[in-house]
Amino acid sequence: MIKRKLYIIILVSIALVLLSVTLLDEKSTSKNTFSCLTNQESFAAGKPITIEFKGNYENKPQLFIIHSLGRTLLDGVLKNDTIQFNLPKNYTNKTGLVSWFLIENNEEKAKGNFQIVPNDKTKTNLESYLGPPSTLAGDNHFVMFVTIPTDDFDNPKLENTNVAIKHQFLNAIATDNKKTKDFIAWKNIYAPTKSGIVLISASCNEALTKEFDAVIYPSIATDFTISYKRNHEFADGNQITKLTTSTLKDKFGNTVSDGTMVTFIIKNKENAILKTFGTTIEGIATGQILHPEKEENYTIKAFVNGISKSNSIEIAYKSINPTVEFSFSKDNRTIIVGPIKSFMNQIVPDGIKVNLNIYHKDKLVETITENSNKGKAEFYLSPEFYKEKSYRFEIETLGKTIKTKEINVVNQ
Amino acid sequence: MKETSNKYLIVALLFGVIFHGSAIFFTLENTYDALIHMFFGNHYASSWFEPWNYSWYTGFTVMGYPPLVHQTIGLLSYVGGLKFGMFTVAITGIILFITGVFRYTVLITGNRTVAGYAAIVAILSSSFVETLHIFGQLPSIIGVSVLMHAMPEIYLYIKTGRWKYFFTATSLIAVTVCSHHVTPLFGMVFFISPLIGMVIMDASREKVNSYKEIKFKLFFNTFLSLFKRIVLFCGSAVFLIVFCILPYWINSKANPITQVPIPHGSRDNFLEVTSSGLMFFLIPWGILLFILPYIFYRYYSKRYIFFGLSITLLTILGTGGTTPIPLKMLGETAFNILTLDRFTLWASIMSLPIFGEFVYRLVEGDLKTALQNKFGTVYHRVLGGLFAGSFLLFTVFTITLGYFRPLQPDKINFLPIVNFLNQDQHDQWRFLPLGFGDQMALLSTQTKAMTVDGNYHSARRLPELTTRAVERLENSKFRGVEGIGSLQQFLTVPEKYNLKYVFSNDKFYDPILYFCGWHRLTQLENGIMVWEKLNVQPLSKILPKEDVSVVLKLMWGIIPLLTVLIAFILNIQMIWLQALKIKVLDKPAFLNHGVAYTSFKSWMIKLLHIWTGIVLIFFGIGIYFTYIKNATQISPENVVKSYYDALDFKFYEKAHSYIVPDKEYSLAQFMLEISVSDGILNSYGKLDAIETTIKNNSTKKAKVIAKTKWITPLEIIEKTYTHEVEKIKGKWYIIPDKKDTDLPPDEFIATNVNSYYKQGRRKISTQQTYHDDILRQPDLEIIKANLVYFDNKYMIIGEVQNIDNVPADVVLKASLYDDKDKMLGTFNAKYVIKHKLMPKETTSFRVNFEDIAWLNATDVKPTSFNPDEFTDKNFNNKPVTFDIQSAGNVAISDLYTSVAISDLVVSDKEIKGTLFNYGIQEVTVPEILISYYNDKKELIYVDHKFLKEGVRIQRKQYFTYSFLNLSTLKSLKYSTANCFVNGISNEAIARDVIKKRRTSEEEEQLQKVNGKGFSYIKIELNNYIGNPK
Repeated sequence: MIKRKLYIIILVSIALVLLSVTLLDEKSTSKNTFSCLTNQESFAAGKPITIEFKGNYENKPQLFIIHSLGRTLLDGVLKNDTIQFNLPKNYTNKTGLVSWFLIENNEEKAKGNFQIVPNDKTKTNLESYLGPPSTLAGDNHFVMFVTIPTDDFDNPKLENTNVAIKHQFLNAIATDNKKTKDFIAWKNIYAPTKSGIVLISASCNEALTKEFDAVIYPSIATDFTISYKRNHEFADGNQITKLTTSTLKDKFGNTVSDGTMVTFIIKNKENAILKTFGTTIEGIATGQILHPEKEENYTIKAFVNGISKSNSIEIAYKSINPTVEFSFSKDNRTIIVGPIKSFMNQIVPDGIKVNLNIYHKDKLVETITENSNKGKAEFYLSPEFYKEKSYRFEIETLGKTIKTKEINVVNQ
Repeated sequence: MKETSNKYLIVALLFGVIFHGSAIFFTLENTYDALIHMFFGNHYASSWFEPWNYSWYTGFTVMGYPPLVHQTIGLLSYVGGLKFGMFTVAITGIILFITGVFRYTVLITGNRTVAGYAAIVAILSSSFVETLHIFGQLPSIIGVSVLMHAMPEIYLYIKTGRWKYFFTATSLIAVTVCSHHVTPLFGMVFFISPLIGMVIMDASREKVNSYKEIKFKLFFNTFLSLFKRIVLFCGSAVFLIVFCILPYWINSKANPITQVPIPHGSRDNFLEVTSSGLMFFLIPWGILLFILPYIFYRYYSKRYIFFGLSITLLTILGTGGTTPIPLKMLGETAFNILTLDRFTLWASIMSLPIFGEFVYRLVEGDLKTALQNKFGTVYHRVLGGLFAGSFLLFTVFTITLGYFRPLQPDKINFLPIVNFLNQDQHDQWRFLPLGFGDQMALLSTQTKAMTVDGNYHSARRLPELTTRAVERLENSKFRGVEGIGSLQQFLTVPEKYNLKYVFSNDKFYDPILYFCGWHRLTQLENGIMVWEKLNVQPLSKILPKEDVSVVLKLMWGIIPLLTVLIAFILNIQMIWLQALKIKVLDKPAFLNHGVAYTSFKSWMIKLLHIWTGIVLIFFGIGIYFTYIKNATQISPENVVKSYYDALDFKFYEKAHSYIVPDKEYSLAQFMLEISVSDGILNSYGKLDAIETTIKNNSTKKAKVIAKTKWITPLEIIEKTYTHEVEKIKGKWYIIPDKKDTDLPPDEFIATNVNSYYKQGRRKISTQQTYHDDILRQPDLEIIKANLVYFDNKYMIIGEVQNIDNVPADVVLKASLYDDKDKMLGTFNAKYVIKHKLMPKETTSFRVNFEDIAWLNATDVKPTSFNPDEFTDKNFNNKPVTFDIQSAGNVAISDLYTSVAISDLVVSDKEIKGTLFNYGIQEVTVPEILISYYNDKKELIYVDHKFLKEGVRIQRKQYFTYSFLNLSTLKSLKYSTANCFVNGISNEAIARDVIKKRRTSEEEEQLQKVNGKGFSYIKIELNNYIGNPK
């Protein structure tokens, strides 16, 4: 019995407590009003920010904050009849508009907003970027230098903050004062007509940037001239003719970048296009070409493809007018051409091409090519392929052609 | 009776562990498989429960291979490193194998002495030596060893029905399953089924007086009486096979092996491919070949009849493609997936008890008596000596095979590569090793960097790999068209795979890398060349993976080692008692069924003699044919073939010895001539085939025409040589050819060259991006672009110029679209472009649209090798438009331009030209690019030709190029409208640099030709330098 009574008492008391709580609640919400005590509308970043309210704070109102870092709910601190809300440090360090809403029991009781502005009393920093790192001379080519002055909390400074942008090229140093707009202060630095390196820096208050450099490359080449150099004028197939350009310059007079490719187009007597190449060093490109093996007339013109060209020059190669001897073996199956003698009656260098055209009844059967060795070239007609009795030969070397008469070969 | 220790077994164990235990340190790391198992071990050591591995094949699951051995290696690696783990597992395998053979032999013969003999011969059996020291198949060895341990337990369970044996047997089966899945699967058929047959036989025998009295009815009745046990055991075994490696089966179902079968030597016709015959038939059988009749005779006795059938089947299956039977028995699929050498391995292992028995009878049994009675003691001793001698010879031959005929490239020191990958965030990209052999697995254990390649081909996922019979990209040169084709695809579009670095241990691949637009970065201390490709994005932080459920992961991580633990607990007591002989154990039932070795059948002695004679005759014939084939100077054809063989393998001294002995023509002169001949053929060619025909054959002299076919990384080259040969003192010699006598003009050359250097990161810091240190991407201009249709192919051709002031590396990607602007395909320029351009240099290019080769099963594969061949993309819709995305990056190397066209003869059909190298680098492979223009001087086609020989300094090289017939070519869209450079419009970028192109001047440089479908051509040169100085 006692136990049951006890249960009833407990249950009833619990019910009463619950009832009283709900009643109390209703009562307080209907009455409560708040007034904001903080009138300041602008705070410097990094300084503590406290928003105070006067009113009944029994229901623990909270402050809902909308800040550029995000949204959050703050709990208040009670002091006498005021309630204080302290903004967290990472919020106070960042500039921007802050909106607040005082919330009690999911109801908005008051609202307002304030600004956090950059703190000019802290150290100024300068963030900067230069791009592109290189450009061409003149012709309105430019590089852009962008700076963002900030306070020590990395907040961009207010509009119209002064930034001095300096740049140096050769002997000239220029300073420009720019004011920030939309956080940045920037300047287009137009390329000078001379190639080289432009150094750029900026300062804002006591903050300085490091040295930035933009490489100014020469513009594209203009027309140029070419010349040639050779040891002798003979077409001996064994000397080199060097083709050289004048110094390639752009329209501003800058020597073009090292490595600029120049193609030398060489037209020979047969209108075949031969080629040699050169890449410029200090503006001069050199191509080389082997002397032809027979009398030739080269017409040479050089190009920087699609950009510029040179004058046209002509180089004539004289035939060395060799003396060519030849002899046959007993069975007439081995033909020895040589010694081939050159323009000073010297034996030609090894490796001269000797062609032997073999005719049978005035029809070309085959052309055999041999390289000379000690001035001689040896040809062997194997009985397997050359079954006919008589052949006529033409020996071609160094632009000279020697025709033999009909010769009978021995067949086994 | 107290049982004494089996001294033979102890000898076998001591000897086996010393012999193999020391030998593995010299062999195991050069085997085919061991390092792969170590790599897997490393995977478990670093992430035990995570089956996904990113290191290989753009990610794969390790659930494709039973994990026990790998997990054990991983576990042991915590104690003493991965190699310690691998060697410990190998030594454990050796011990398990020796004891396994012992127990299996006791089971079969019922004689412990015979079993001791079998254990000893097992150590030296060539199949075991081959499996361990050449193949390195650790899981296979452990699997079969544990299976042999399980067999007596299975016998005893079925015979006695005692639960003790049931649990020991099944626990051992579980271990087998977890170490190697194929072993228990086929073991059920080839080992356990005949064993069950033998149990029934023995049980029947106990009901009658002799095996002869066992008739089918009795046998069947006994079978019925044991049926419950058999079913229970087999059911449990099947359950274990499925359950213990359930994730494996689920994975195989989810990712079925759909790939093209990888050719394996064990499927060859051994008579045709003698090297496969040696590896997969002669070596594993070894000395057993001589006593095959005895083995079969014994296994075909009534008690072992089922083993007899089983070994017959194994023997036949092991012959691979020699007869069509294995293919018919296994079916196409199984035949192409399984490696058939394992059947021979099992057959030889199954023979071991009988071999032990034979040796026992020869050494101390009735065979000895019979031989001594018949032929005298001396004969017996000589025969025994010969037998033992050839047995040892086989073993020594097998174990040293890898030493005399290296199966792998030389051991590579990986430290420089690992350091390179760790440096400067190089491991943010994938890498590709070339020419590493199976050592690539070792590299992967040492770095967290990933590779697109891998060494476990069943796990490959990229269709570029699975559609081809290419085991690894790394050794693709051995796989002909498919290998090089696969490799080319990876090298041409490396950005698709985030592939930026190639480690090349084989000069062979250098030209292909160069012509695909790669460049040499540095040579590491270990001689490995690092190649790099620009404009490749790093891997993203999060990579895709195929996840599996946690349950499977837990099963995979826990069950395998648990089976070992359970098997250990269940079996240790018995092993302990057996080993230490503390307690007299019951005599196992199978000991009652041994045969008495009293009278060796004399007809068997006769048969063995005859058989030995036959085998020896076969050997003799084989050796004779090998000799005739390899005798170098026995005929005119042989000497020419040998000469080219020697040249191919760079045995120059040997090659010189085939040339007519002449004081004037010394080896030094010969070497000199070899050393000055460079080019794709001489430096990179691999002789593929040589066909010789003799002309003018007389007794003393002959002319041999050699048609040779060379595989080079770039294309196949066929070249015919004619050689005069002469017979001097019974030997044929080659008469040397005349050499080029051309002399370069200058003895000493001075020249100025442009050379470049990139600092990269100027500050010593791991910070990723310093704006100041990033070079601006060079500006390019796509001057011309044209979509053409020719030869049933769509392709994009054009011309691109580096309009910047620094040298540029050009990456050119073209895409095709249909009339609804749907993208049809995209590919990069491969060979037909000069990838590195000097400032203002121009190159023509062509982009072909390659598909993943042979994606459809119906596609006909070319049988001959041609690396230049590729599969064209088939388009469902007609391409009507295209875009080109090109990117320039600052290049500093491979910019050699000092080669001139010094002579040219143009006809309507061809051009004959002379190149002249006036610089100071030797050009190894010159490539000429020929652009074709129509009468309006519009670019309509670009072709290329690699010259076979290089151009030495200040020397000439002649070439001939035949014009194409372009009359059927259709020019579909000639426009640079949709061309982009570094992400910006081509036109915008170009007109900023060159206000107005002087097109007419460009047109002045064209060569007029009276061609079919074209009117002008232009020739450009691309020079590959093999050894930059």
